[in-house]
Parts: sequence; C-alpha cells; structure tokens
Amino acid sequence: MRKLKKKLPKLTAFGFLIIFGIIFLIPLLWALLTSFKPEVEIQTLGYRFFPVKWTFQNFKEALFGNSAAPIGRWFFNSMFISTVHTVLALIIVSMSAYAYAKLEFKGKNFIFWALMTTMMFPSVINLIPLYKIVQTLGWIDNPLALIVPGLGGVFNIYLVRQFMLGIPKEFSEAARIDGANEWQIFTRVIIPLSRPVLTVVALFAFTGSWNDFLWPSIVMNTIEKMPLTPGLRILQGVYDIEIAHLMSSAIISIIPTFVLYLFAQKYFLNGLALSSGVKG
Amino acid sequence: MKNLQTVPSSIGSPIKKGTAKSGRGNKLVPYLFIAPHLIIFLIFFAIPAVSGIYVAFTKWNLYSAPQWVGLTNFYEILANKDSTFYFQLHNGLFNTIKFVCFSVPFFIIIPLLLAVALNTKTYGSKIFQSIFYMPTLLSISSVILTWVFMFHRNLGPINNILGLRTNWFGQQPFTWMAIVIITLWWGIGGNMIIYLAALNSIDRSLYEAAEIDGANAIQRFFKVTIPGLKNQLAYTVVLTTIAQFNIYGQPLMFSKGGPKESTRVLMMYIRELAFGSGESIAGLASAMAVILGLCIMAVSVIQFVLMRNKD
Repeated sequence: MRKLKKKLPKLTAFGFLIIFGIIFLIPLLWALLTSFKPEVEIQTLGYRFFPVKWTFQNFKEALFGNSAAPIGRWFFNSMFISTVHTVLALIIVSMSAYAYAKLEFKGKNFIFWALMTTMMFPSVINLIPLYKIVQTLGWIDNPLALIVPGLGGVFNIYLVRQFMLGIPKEFSEAARIDGANEWQIFTRVIIPLSRPVLTVVALFAFTGSWNDFLWPSIVMNTIEKMPLTPGLRILQGVYDIEIAHLMSSAIISIIPTFVLYLFAQKYFLNGLALSSGVKG
Repeated sequence: MKNLQTVPSSIGSPIKKGTAKSGRGNKLVPYLFIAPHLIIFLIFFAIPAVSGIYVAFTKWNLYSAPQWVGLTNFYEILANKDSTFYFQLHNGLFNTIKFVCFSVPFFIIIPLLLAVALNTKTYGSKIFQSIFYMPTLLSISSVILTWVFMFHRNLGPINNILGLRTNWFGQQPFTWMAIVIITLWWGIGGNMIIYLAALNSIDRSLYEAAEIDGANAIQRFFKVTIPGLKNQLAYTVVLTTIAQFNIYGQPLMFSKGGPKESTRVLMMYIRELAFGSGESIAGLASAMAVILGLCIMAVSVIQFVLMRNKD
C-alpha cells in the first residue's frame, strides 16, 4: 500500500502524458498513413485509418510529377538559402558578440544596449519599407533577399555575448602574452570555447530561415525560385482537393526537420533553456 | 556550462608571436568586429523601422515618392466609419486580439501541466518530451498541410472518432477552435521546455518541507511550484502573447479568413493592401502596421524590463 502511494504521482503523470502523447501523434500518423493511400481509396471508401492498398505513387508524383508545385526544387532552394544564411549568421554574430563581451571601445555599452532596445520594436512596421529597400537593390526573386536581412538580428548577439562573458579572462590573456592579436584570440580561443552556444545559434538560425513564411512569400514571385515553406501554400492551391498529394507533400516537408531534430535534439532543448535565461 | 572545463587543444598550440601589433594598441579593431552586423542592421532594420513609421503618415504606392498627408491614414482607419479600411482595421485587429485571448491561456496552462508531469521522471518521459517539442520546429505551412485533413468533415478522424458532423472550416466558433488547437499543437513545446528546466532547479527540500507541513499535491503546486516558476511564467506569457499577435499563416491556409471574414486577421489585410493584386496603398497599410505594432510593443516593453533586470 505504501509502495503504491509512492508510485501514484508517477502513474498519474504517465497516464496524463500518454493521453497527450497519443493526441500529439495522431495528426502526424494520419498524414503519414494517408500519404500511402491511393486517392481513389480516400475518396470512395470513406473514413478508414489504415490504407487498404499501400502505394508510393503519391510521393513519386508529388516529388516529380507537377511543375506547378516543384517540391524538389523548393527543397533545394531552401537548403541553399538556409545554409548560407546560417554560416553568415555564425560569423557575424560571433564577431559582434566577441567585441561586446571581450573588447574595450568607446561607446560599447551605449551601442550594445541601443541594439538590445530595438529588440522590442515590432517587425511588422519594418515589413513594407524593407520590401522597398530589397526591391531597390534588385533583390526581388533573388535568394539574397532571404539570406541577408535576417543577419541584422540582435537576439543571438545577446545570447552569445552572455556566454562569452562567462569565459574567464585568463584564456585570452594567456594568448595575448604569447603575442596573439585580437583576431587570433577570437578565432583560436574564444570561438572554440563558445561551441555550445554557437551550435544553438546555428540550429535556430537554420530552422528560423527554413520556416520563414510571410517574408519569402512577398519577395519571391517566381515559382521555381521559392523556398519550401511559402511554396507549400502554392502547392495547397495546386492540389486543392487531391488529399493524397497534399499529405505526401506534408510528409516530405516534415522529413528534413525531423531528421535534424533526431540528431540535434539535445542542443535544441538546451538552447531553449539557455535563451530563456534559466541556465546561462 | 560544463563544457567550459574542457580546454580545447587549440589553446595549447603555439600562436605565432608578433604577427601583429598588440591588439590593445589598435583602437579601430573592435569597430571592425561589430561593423558587419551594424551595417546590415542599419540597412535592413533601422532604416525600415524609421521609414515604416514615416510612411504611415503618407500616401504611397511603393513606387512613386511618398506624399505627406499627416493623420489622414489614421483618421481613415480609426474614425471614418464609412471607409472599408475602417472595417478592415477593426475586424482584423479584433480577430487578432480574439485569437491572442483564446490561445495564450492554453499556451501557459497545458505546457505547465506537461512539464510538471514530465518532471516526475515517469516512464518514457524523455520520449514524451521529444514528441511534444518536435512540432515547434515545423513550419506553419507544413503544420497546416498535416492538419487540414484531420478536420475534414466526412473523411477526417476528428469528426469520425468523436461522432460529429462539424464543419470546422466554415462555421464559428469551430473554425477558431480548430485554429487554436492547431496552433497549440505547433507551439506548446517551447514553453514546456522552459518550465521543465526551471522545475529542475527548484530546491527539492522546499517540497519536502511542504509535505512535512501537511500540504497536499495541489497545495504544493500552488505554494511551491508556481512561485518557483514566477520568472519563467512572466517571460513566457509576454513572449507567447507577442508571438500570437503575429498570427498570419494559420487562418490564411486553414480557413482563408473565413467564414465571412471572421478569421481574417490584421496581418492579412496589411499584406493584401501593400502587396496584393490591386494598386498598392502602402501608406495606409503602414498605418495599420503601426497600430498592430503599438499593441505588440506594449507587451514587449514588459519583456525588456524583465530581461534588463536579469542582466
């Protein structure tokens, strides 16, 4: 009896979690199972959870079959845009964060806190003029429009600076005595030590860029140049009521994120706690 | 930060001596470090931010030069009851705020309950944690595509499992319910992880002391857990509210603003007026953006105060 009483909280928690867990998995499972059903089966057999006849046809057609919704092409575009954006973000963020954390210069605190204040500025106000600037630069339908503007963000600089502040002075002092200049201290001492936080920045920069919806749908007009996320909206219009195609496209679009999550789960979870200031 | 204790090998490796002047001597170097970011920040953030406010007071079609018209745009959207733009702003803002009010409480309560349950370290809690967090990494368009068929009137599992004949896409309050459910599925994982990390850092002895004093589970939840999560709760309320104010993709893709404009949110009108198929009225759209921005800003100010206190 005592033993049961001790276990009761755990069992209640488990019951609660399993109910929510199932609710959470059903949409994914449903989309996955539907994507293996032939369209005729969906439309004629009525509601059935599992396919009667399994087919890969939907995936084949979604990937290669329709030039109005070239999901493979979009996938490639997204890969390119998000990768370049992430690499540039890492360079720019770590350079700035290093200066604000470790270097002394006139106006440092003023510039830093001025930047941080802009974080609360609502980005919806920027949207229309930003379009004008990008258009003036001739970047409409150009991947640069999706790669560059986001590099001006300030939150990651805050995050990395906080981390770098925690790196003891002795490390950089030792290198300085050895005759290293600021750039060498930065690349050989501070960057390697900041790897945990930079991993987090990279993951969030990549997924953020990958998932961006509104902005790319404004600046990219040509179907072939679109990234995947806004492309899916066009796809929704193209396939309309072809449910099997919609579901296989949904599954295709989920796979990359899912794979990334499998490999980097720990960093995502740590990163979130880090950025909310629980650890850090 | 346990990774700090392992010193990477590069520190031991000899760095070439005297390749440059002492870093301390060169006053320009730090500015070179911050310059790339500052330049991009100025061009793609600061200038658009200032112009965004400026053009709200102009007549502008995105192409010719903006013409100063003073408060005309604001009068049009805020006070001119005969104007369609008046209707659009009020309908859009009202729907946006409605969604914020519907969704934010659940965005706090559900993740909190999940975090408390996970914190018991019950069977498979790591797996559950992964399941709840995964959707937050998906894009809104993937999420909507995954969900549309769930709500299908005849063929979807929701109506079939629950034995309903609900028209989720075309009848209120069901359309809002569907949008809120989808948004919760998409987003609660983030807050859950934040609470979970904070729960881990609450001192065990507080619970033991409360138990000795005869507090039951519910009392312990309200007297120990909630106070222990005070900062995280404040932080997530603010952040979630801001995030939900930016709602756009869900009603656009799920209900296309319907039924009868009831899920058309302000962001949809702004986008349509500035970048839609007709001639752009970017000035007026900017005025709407400023109004939406002011609502968000009111919430963000609180966030900034919280962050600054922590630094």
